[in-house]
Amino acid sequence: MGFLSNTLVVLLLVGGVWLARLVARDRYWRENATQLWRRRPLALITLALFLLIGVLDSVGWVGGGASGEDDVAALRSRTLIDRLFQPERFTEASYSAPLARLSFYGGQPLKHPGKHLLGTDILGRDVVYRAFKGVRVALLIGGFTSLIVIPIALLFGVFAGYFGKRIDDAVFFLMTVLASVPSLLLLIALVMVMGRGTLQVCIALGITGWVHFCRIARGETLKLREAEFVDAARALGVSDLTIIRRHVLPNIAHLIIITFALSFTGLVLAETILSYLGIGLDGSWGQMIDQARNELSRTPIIWWNLAGASVALFVLILAVNMIADALRDIIDPRTRREGR
Amino acid sequence: MTWAFVRVAIITGSLALALAGCSNNPYPASDRAQKILYSSFSEAPKTLDPAVAYTTASHIITGNVYDTLLEYHFLKRPYELMPGLAERVPEAVPHADGRVSYRFKIRDGILFHPDPCFQLSQGEGRSRKVTAADFAFELARLADPAVNSPLAGSFGQVLGFVEFAETLAALRQTDPAFADLPAHEQYQRAGGIAGVVARTELELEIVLKEAKPQILYFFAMPFTTPVPWEAVAYYNGQPGREHFADHPVGTGPYRLTTYEKQYRMLLERHAAWYGSGVALADAPGAVFPREIARDDILNQQIDPDYAGRRLPFLDRINFVREREDIPRFNKFLQGYYDEGHIIKESFDAIVQNDALSPQMSARGMRLDKTVEPSIFYIGFNMADPVVGAAAGERGRKLRQAMSLAIDSKAYLELFLNGRGVLAQSPLPPGIFGYDAEYKNPFRQPDLARAQKLLAEAGYKNGLDAHTGVPLKLAFDTPNTTAQALLQYQFYVSAWRQLGLDVEINATTYNQFQAKVRRGAYQLFTWGWIADFPDPENFFFLLECGNAQAKSGGPNTANFCNGEFDRLYHAMKSLPNDERRHGLIKRMLALTEQERPWIELFHNEEYALSHAWVINSKPMGLSYPTYKYMDVKPELRARLQVDWNVPVRWPLYVALLLIVAVSLPAVRTFYRERQ
Amino acid sequence: MGAYLIRRVGYGLITVLGVLFLLFVLFFAVTDPDDIARKAVGERARPEVYALWKKNHGYDRPLLLNRAYAAGDSRRYTDTLLFDHYRRMLTFDFGNSDADDSLIARRLKEGMGPSLSLTVPLFAFGLVLGVLLALFVAFFRETYIDRAVLVLCMLTMSIAGLLYIISGQYLIGMLLKWFPISGFAFEPYLAGRFLALPVLVGVVSGIGADVRLYRTIFVEESNRDYVRTARAKGCGEVRVMLAHVLRNALIPILSNIVITIPFLFTGALLLESFFGIPGLGSLTVEAIQGNDFSTLRTMVYLGALLFIAGQILTDISYALADPRVRLT
Repeated sequence: MGFLSNTLVVLLLVGGVWLARLVARDRYWRENATQLWRRRPLALITLALFLLIGVLDSVGWVGGGASGEDDVAALRSRTLIDRLFQPERFTEASYSAPLARLSFYGGQPLKHPGKHLLGTDILGRDVVYRAFKGVRVALLIGGFTSLIVIPIALLFGVFAGYFGKRIDDAVFFLMTVLASVPSLLLLIALVMVMGRGTLQVCIALGITGWVHFCRIARGETLKLREAEFVDAARALGVSDLTIIRRHVLPNIAHLIIITFALSFTGLVLAETILSYLGIGLDGSWGQMIDQARNELSRTPIIWWNLAGASVALFVLILAVNMIADALRDIIDPRTRREGR
Repeated sequence: MTWAFVRVAIITGSLALALAGCSNNPYPASDRAQKILYSSFSEAPKTLDPAVAYTTASHIITGNVYDTLLEYHFLKRPYELMPGLAERVPEAVPHADGRVSYRFKIRDGILFHPDPCFQLSQGEGRSRKVTAADFAFELARLADPAVNSPLAGSFGQVLGFVEFAETLAALRQTDPAFADLPAHEQYQRAGGIAGVVARTELELEIVLKEAKPQILYFFAMPFTTPVPWEAVAYYNGQPGREHFADHPVGTGPYRLTTYEKQYRMLLERHAAWYGSGVALADAPGAVFPREIARDDILNQQIDPDYAGRRLPFLDRINFVREREDIPRFNKFLQGYYDEGHIIKESFDAIVQNDALSPQMSARGMRLDKTVEPSIFYIGFNMADPVVGAAAGERGRKLRQAMSLAIDSKAYLELFLNGRGVLAQSPLPPGIFGYDAEYKNPFRQPDLARAQKLLAEAGYKNGLDAHTGVPLKLAFDTPNTTAQALLQYQFYVSAWRQLGLDVEINATTYNQFQAKVRRGAYQLFTWGWIADFPDPENFFFLLECGNAQAKSGGPNTANFCNGEFDRLYHAMKSLPNDERRHGLIKRMLALTEQERPWIELFHNEEYALSHAWVINSKPMGLSYPTYKYMDVKPELRARLQVDWNVPVRWPLYVALLLIVAVSLPAVRTFYRERQ
Repeated sequence: MGAYLIRRVGYGLITVLGVLFLLFVLFFAVTDPDDIARKAVGERARPEVYALWKKNHGYDRPLLLNRAYAAGDSRRYTDTLLFDHYRRMLTFDFGNSDADDSLIARRLKEGMGPSLSLTVPLFAFGLVLGVLLALFVAFFRETYIDRAVLVLCMLTMSIAGLLYIISGQYLIGMLLKWFPISGFAFEPYLAGRFLALPVLVGVVSGIGADVRLYRTIFVEESNRDYVRTARAKGCGEVRVMLAHVLRNALIPILSNIVITIPFLFTGALLLESFFGIPGLGSLTVEAIQGNDFSTLRTMVYLGALLFIAGQILTDISYALADPRVRLT
């Protein structure tokens, strides 16, 4: 997992750099990007911070570092976040309140008094550390799944919309069948059948989310197919694939981006429900919330576990929502036409 | 015009909210003055067929609706059997050829609950007397493979039990007409069980192939209740008729009148219970015990005024489905359930310094602590090549080392508020053979010693000499809830200190079962609560014949030790005497050294009851005692109102805020209009 | 119109067959009937007991092809799980639950009442409140109220539904003691008390997205030419909003809504589970946790049927409401 994770991160970074260069070269997209930055600087910085944490948590290697007491940890791949927090040392016996010097039950002096910003959970693990670990899981569920699903859904959708006839019928039928099953139920059935695990949950989420993308792509392609410039291109003898690449794709790019952002938030929120049902991902915020939800009823109340996970989840979702909103205002041709 | 409309909308909206009751009492006002006990259940019973119902969920109904030949005395500890429907507890009568027989004399005049099914035999009549044939019918049902009783194996010693089952199966296979007959006729034609004889109308004789003193405990369980053949024949699931599994017909103090099992169940008093005949008025099962220990009175668990009074006292028992722990406990605190079990989250508010906190005592609540006859343990798969018997001395030292690393006390403090007795052996307190002074040398946490043992086992500092990395072990569980994962993480962290790398595999139920069947597991965790108070009911979990790998039995640890099995078979039928004690001690010495289990704790139940509940002494065993309980309805109604005053001020504040915020907007609007 | 309807229904039928096949693959090809038997009967039974259970529930047959019969015998194909699956689902013969042998049809009837009593008020209040609030905001568009409400919507949209439920139960049930934390009563005069909290939580968690959507629609409508004409003619803004904008904007809103009507029957899974309402949603959650495939299969099938019905309804309502829509 370590090697795979590291290569993925490198690929993502390379991809990100390539994308940035593409944007910088195209005037249209450069303008959009600067507009976005002007409108939502805070949201972009927040998202960048989350991405940074996620990347830091994906780069890991075995060995090195000063662990000493825990050989098991030394022989497991530990990420930069792990090395920063050193969770094997940075734990207490049990609960402790944020920035407390004594343990919550029993009032024993802590091993690291005053250092736990959001306190510790029932096993003494630092809440901020666990929230940070949840970032990668959330990005995995939302971003990674979407990144896999979008190209496949695009392929099906665009081809179905463009070529029409039999291909369209087949794809539309497949889409309708999958969409007819309530997505939560299908998700649960898939995970139950495939078993628990990161890959299985991502595949299940992908299968249930694929249809939405595909339908949008197909719908837009259908509209574009009738457009004049496409007719002209075809009259000139340009190949279908080139038309798709040069005319159709750029014109649905805005929709894809916005749908990506919305699907991201939808997937992350869906995972919280899966965690409640017991079939979510390990280490996710949903799991933290599930573990912590009964703690609100304790007297005295233990709120910091729930707060840590909820706030992290909320901030990420809000940032993505705000960016998506601003993007929609900027690049949706309809609103642009109105001169806003 | 439109503003008027908006105003009206706001007013009606808030009125609707206020009219929605704004009270959190879930029961209708008409029930307030009645003698009803309110309780809850978290899982719907799967079946109420007494031959099949095995879970606590079903037992709260079957235990109250069905009577048995023998009963446990409500107050005496250690548990004592006393006569129920039988006139006395029978003695074992040995015969020359090794057989043992018990003769039960059944009380005359016990009536079944009135039910339409009795038209099959009584014409217009709605009920009839219980006879020995009814007991024989139920025992035949236990043997019937089509009924599929989970307890069929325990009656194997009854003469002719197994043969009867085989005869039935053979007859059904060869003769389709036979298979279509109603059950009672099939049993008659198959000849019945040789060892179950209805000597006269009210005399039942049970003949065993060899001595088995524990068989008497089974006659205190609903499995051996008298079942009228009419009920089984009438409630056959045809259109318009329920299944017998959903429609119990018994002789018990309560009848099941409402069975919406996803939502609620109601039991109502059976008017004719032990009713006909003066001779029944003093039956031990029908009256409150006359002798009451001083302790029970001092603890306020028993009200001495009830001594000798006729049972039952409650008119109705109302069970409501509560899936989640916290709402259930909160409703208990609000007074809407009469009894509750303490939950982790509220422990510190309820219990302080081992007793009820002052706030709770001020409410008049009572706390009863009982140690259940149960054992929770981590098990090793002894058939595994790394941790099991195949690894010989190395494996044993590995298990011993891992056993030394687990600190049950810390676990109890962390997850159960310390509610439990640290387990030193498989036997819990209250079971013959339990020694309160015994300290298992491998259950006293000692990291240094564990590390030494680990090194001797060839895993110095947890490293596997062959691979050079920490030994990797698998901990399998079908429990994927967040709470359970935290608990397993605790064990993993403990073993990590030894340098062992244990991975938690929390899989779906199906995946887990598949692994167990394949034998592909190393560590697991399990809990067991006694069916009856005898050491045999714990040791059978370690007997080789019951091994999961061999027969799919409950010995999931696959513990197969010849010496242990020999001792087990020797001790299982002995009475509780010196000889048995000696055998048990030797067996415990074996489990101590071999460590097929890491014994964690014996569960301690903290049962809470309100001031208006009387005679709430908990039983420990899964044994409903509602017939002994009573309530004070006026006290309950008063306290419920006192404890549940709704807090209304935030509603007014919110309304005010909304108005305050929209006023400037309205003003701006009117100004712009000019 | 008639031909269109027939074609749509026909297509819907084919989709149903496809859904059934998907269900079959999910439930039977990958799961062992032995596991279903084990979960239903319990762990401690003998192997003959599992075999008997499978026989009684029809799980002892092969999946696709029954080689026990000779080729040419139609029973080769009809005495299989696949054929049985199709036959039973298409005739609505749902059979018994795997977990406790109760009649699924009866459980469906029992569960429908509580589910509807939750989802219908949820739907109605959500719609009315959402429309009213969106109208209010669209009326005051570009003022500070508009911006404040939009920000509020964004914030509420970003909170997970689970958190709404947890905090709702805690704040209103435990701290304020206004309504019971969970539970249900079939008597109508008691039920209101139990439904108030889940309806409140459901409405609040969904209102953010709804208001934004409706506001966009209203604002778009109010920029149309005919509305500008009305204003130029001197109609008051309020009258414009209510008489013109609302009526015409209702078409896209309603077509959004019609698609969710079928799901009123399947119940709100999370809400029912947390608030202890014995409806179809909690029936589904229990089927999931109890490995009860026959119930789960039925719920998924019914959900799909209702969804397809909803789609057909939406298409029809579009055609009826907007005469410009061509039925091709």
